[in-house]
Amino acid sequence: MIPAATRYERASDLDHALELLAEPDAKAIAGGQSLIPVMKLRIARPSVVVDISRLEFRGVDVRGDELHIGPLTTWDELLDVPEFGRPALAAIPECARGIGDLQLRNMGTIGGGLAHADPASDMPAVLLTLGAALELRSPDGERTVPVADFILGPFTSTLADRELITDIAVPTPLPGSGSAYVSVEHPASGFALAGAAALVGPDGGARVAVTGIAGRPFLLAGDDHRTALETADVFGDRFASAEYRRELASVVVRRAVERASQRAKEDS
Amino acid sequence: MSEPYIGVSRPRVDAPDKVTGATRYAADGYVHGLLHARLVLSTEAHARIRAVHREDALAMPGVVAVLVAADLPLATTGTDRTAEPLAREEVVFAGQPVAMVIGETQAAAEDASELVFVELDSLQPVVDLEEAMRPGAALARLVEEAEGGGDLESIHAGVDHGRADADQEQLSGNVLDRVHRTNGDAAAAIDASDSVVSGTFRTPWVYQAYIEPQVSTAWLEPSGTLVVSTSTQGSFVTRSELARAFGLSLDRIRVVAEPLGGAFGGKFALVEPLAAGAALALRRPVRLVLTRREDFQATNPASAQVTHLRVGARKDGTFTGIEARMLVDRGSNAGWGVEGITSSLVAGPYRWQAHDVVGYGIQTNRFTFGAYRAPGAPTAAFALESLLDELAQALGLDPIELRLKNAVVEGDMGIGGNPFPTIGAVEVLEQVRDHPLWAARSTLPDDEGIGVAAGYWPGGNEPAAAVCRVDTDGTMTVVTSAVDMSGVDSGFVVIAAAAFGLSPDKVRVVHADTATGPYAGASGGSKVTYTVGRAVEGAARAARVKVLAAASQELEIAPDDLEVVDGVVRAVGAPGRSITVEELAKKTLRFGGRYEPIEGHGGSAQTVGAPSVAAHLSHVRVDRETGEVELLRHVVAQDVGRALNPALVEGQMRGGAVQGIGWALFEQLDHDEDGHLLTGSFLDYAVPVAERVPEIDTLIVEVPAPDGPFGAKGIGEAPVVAAAPAIANAVAAATGARLHELPMTPARVWRALRS
Ligand SMILES: Cc1cc2nc3c(=O)[nH]c(=O)nc-3n(C[C@H](O)[C@H](O)[C@H](O)COP(=O)(O)OP(=O)(O)OC[C@H]3O[C@@H](n4cnc5c(N)ncnc54)[C@H](O)[C@@H]3O)c2cc1C
Repeated sequence: MIPAATRYERASDLDHALELLAEPDAKAIAGGQSLIPVMKLRIARPSVVVDISRLEFRGVDVRGDELHIGPLTTWDELLDVPEFGRPALAAIPECARGIGDLQLRNMGTIGGGLAHADPASDMPAVLLTLGAALELRSPDGERTVPVADFILGPFTSTLADRELITDIAVPTPLPGSGSAYVSVEHPASGFALAGAAALVGPDGGARVAVTGIAGRPFLLAGDDHRTALETADVFGDRFASAEYRRELASVVVRRAVERASQRAKEDS
Repeated sequence: MSEPYIGVSRPRVDAPDKVTGATRYAADGYVHGLLHARLVLSTEAHARIRAVHREDALAMPGVVAVLVAADLPLATTGTDRTAEPLAREEVVFAGQPVAMVIGETQAAAEDASELVFVELDSLQPVVDLEEAMRPGAALARLVEEAEGGGDLESIHAGVDHGRADADQEQLSGNVLDRVHRTNGDAAAAIDASDSVVSGTFRTPWVYQAYIEPQVSTAWLEPSGTLVVSTSTQGSFVTRSELARAFGLSLDRIRVVAEPLGGAFGGKFALVEPLAAGAALALRRPVRLVLTRREDFQATNPASAQVTHLRVGARKDGTFTGIEARMLVDRGSNAGWGVEGITSSLVAGPYRWQAHDVVGYGIQTNRFTFGAYRAPGAPTAAFALESLLDELAQALGLDPIELRLKNAVVEGDMGIGGNPFPTIGAVEVLEQVRDHPLWAARSTLPDDEGIGVAAGYWPGGNEPAAAVCRVDTDGTMTVVTSAVDMSGVDSGFVVIAAAAFGLSPDKVRVVHADTATGPYAGASGGSKVTYTVGRAVEGAARAARVKVLAAASQELEIAPDDLEVVDGVVRAVGAPGRSITVEELAKKTLRFGGRYEPIEGHGGSAQTVGAPSVAAHLSHVRVDRETGEVELLRHVVAQDVGRALNPALVEGQMRGGAVQGIGWALFEQLDHDEDGHLLTGSFLDYAVPVAERVPEIDTLIVEVPAPDGPFGAKGIGEAPVVAAAPAIANAVAAATGARLHELPMTPARVWRALRS
């Protein structure tokens, strides 16, 4: 459980970070909560770890009709953001509160969680329903990728080697919306066996995403969530079979929609 | 009884150092010139070793050696973990140590360990327990066991073993042991019952999950003495195991048991032969600290078990017969298994008219079985206590009244063939019956349930000795070789204080090693307070005789007319005529002093055990849609003999209940069909973390143990025994679904609810 030998550099700004990341096998580190464990297991053997945790992409602010979440914002910092007091955005702190333990929430960042692309991570489901998009920057420039196109499969994303997430843009939901996140956790890892996020609009229509049951979190197509789940390609293992996960998913989907609908009535 | 200091809650004596980080554990000690070992583990569950290629590893900077079995100066040919710390020809479980890389730093050893290539010829892995025992089954070990185990076997055999026999039954060579106990015609007794219930119950391999992984450091003194500083439950047994492994005489080995960071039955001479073997081979100090992953894979968890059980009762609830067939997975442990213990405990603390129970110890290619808090008891209790609930239901009787009707009292015959000594089975069942939670059963919301279960641990015996010494400042030092695994030091302090007549604040405990200490066996079997505590009591009384003799001279009063109260020796009835222990001590420990040192030696050798019974109530809520079980509240009532320090006793009761919750809902070491461990990290192996543990009420019941110090008995193991069946019975009460397999994971509960 000792990582392979590596070097450490602290980036002073974005350009410096991208410059340091030019080295082959360089790896950015934010809170280190996913990277350090995989380094200890020697699954990751970066030549250099580039510490981006002091860069400015941290905190939440409102610009126009979008909320912007800095990727270096920790899970704990997402818990008392005034904007998330709105029932329409309640899923964000609700989800963040259930992630890992206190130590993890104090160190782990939302950007690191996205980049790691764990198929059972919680927050991507919430961001999917909210229609969030990521701003990515590399020496080649800047691009914007919807969360739905960012995570490709287990632990793989569209992120290029010398690219960093620099912003998470969340469109402000319409007044009268409600959101919720409900999951059943694996008792050891705390990751979702099945998790569901829902955003219910003022018209009562629901957008729903699930996580934990497939190679990546995904949006459920259409309004008939049960059917959408029945046709989904669901993963199973000895702890929780595919049949069971599919059933769990339909339970958490229903509960998330119910809770989000309830909240929509309180949103203004 | 109203001895001073006894029965008062006070903080553990080791707590300040532990919470401030001052305790130095076995991995913390500085040793000059220390080398670091890293293990290379088998990647297959069953294979023959063709070759171990070490050239690439040896070429790495900072690497001192790559050792295989042949490089260790072993004097043994057997296949137990002492005799064969590194696999010789055949690997018998995935995770078995095959080679050891020794580096100048841990990192160098770890880097090089990746480059050791072990060439294996695969053999058929034996992982299915029931399949393994069928005649003609593939064997889990092909190389013959050459010699028996050493002292470890006898330690674990301490608990009644029944008789091993071999009726005509056809069994495969994987069945290493068969223990059969009968009395009367159980089948006929059951068949003639008014109600009969039966079932098959399964429990998985369970990891002890101590906080401190296994660790050991070994070096040679200039004189040639092998010194092993280690995290172990027993220093003397470790010494004899090392003597056996390396053919050394006892006086050439000194084992120092360092403060223990948890063990629960798992720390018995597993890593010491590795560290010592490397130190002997290289003649340099070597430390081996297992990583958590290695600790999961390469150590000795509790065995999986399958229990077929059938019991009957008459209309009025009187138990008739019990029949059990218990399959115990020993993994690769040829030395011992829990088939003897579990097949005796399956009868529970109850009277039976007839019994026929048989336990099988079966080898497979999974781990090496080891002890874990009340080995063999939770598995047996899960089966029996689940069926007793079904029996109560079938007979229309209250589950607690049914148990009370059959609960053993002193003198009742146990199925091991010995009468029960003093036992508090009735008392603890009455306590839970009278608890408000039991009364709340009838007014619960939907999907909630309350379950009850009881279980006991017979307790162990082993002769022990201890020393108490009073210094010139009037304080007392208790010298023991017993390892403090569960707070026993804090018990010793109170025992010595009460037996001598000195405030517990003035008593401390020091730990001696195998070269310097009075004898104490390994900490385990719930016997330390009972046996070593008795020796401490004797030592303190012996020291008291000395202080009275000195005081008698000083005060010119006969010793019989003196008493020692809170550090002062005074005339009975005339407390003005007195002298302090401190003053007396100052007159002894000095040049020209006139009295013998105030120091005593005590010993114990009880022959009757002191069983402890614990009953549990558990209140659960079941989410029928997801299968999740939420614990709302849990109650433990336990007969502890005498609560020397109630805070400590309650801590043990809670800790035991929590580990029982782990058995019930969370813990399982699971392998794939090839015998590879699937749950070898805390991301996969769930333990009951704080947020999942409810409030636990503790009800201390005191039925004094006649032969224990101030009536105390060992209490560490009993509270884990019946927690799981109480929860299973609560789940059944909430939903009507009966689970036959632990842990009751959401997926299993969900499935049970659908069938
Ligand atoms: C004990 C434990 C429990 C957990 N429980 C949960 C849980 O219940 N639910 C859940 O969803 N997650 C859980 N996690 C995962 C956790 O959320 C992530 O580990 C954490 O958020 C990762 O963020 P970090 O800043 O620590 O990333 P790091 O470990 O620093 O980095 C992770 C990866 O992201 C890359 N990276 C980091 N920041 C950026 C960036 N801005 N741009 C591009 N790439 C970047 C790194 O290069 C690395 O590849 C758990 C983790 C642990 C250790």
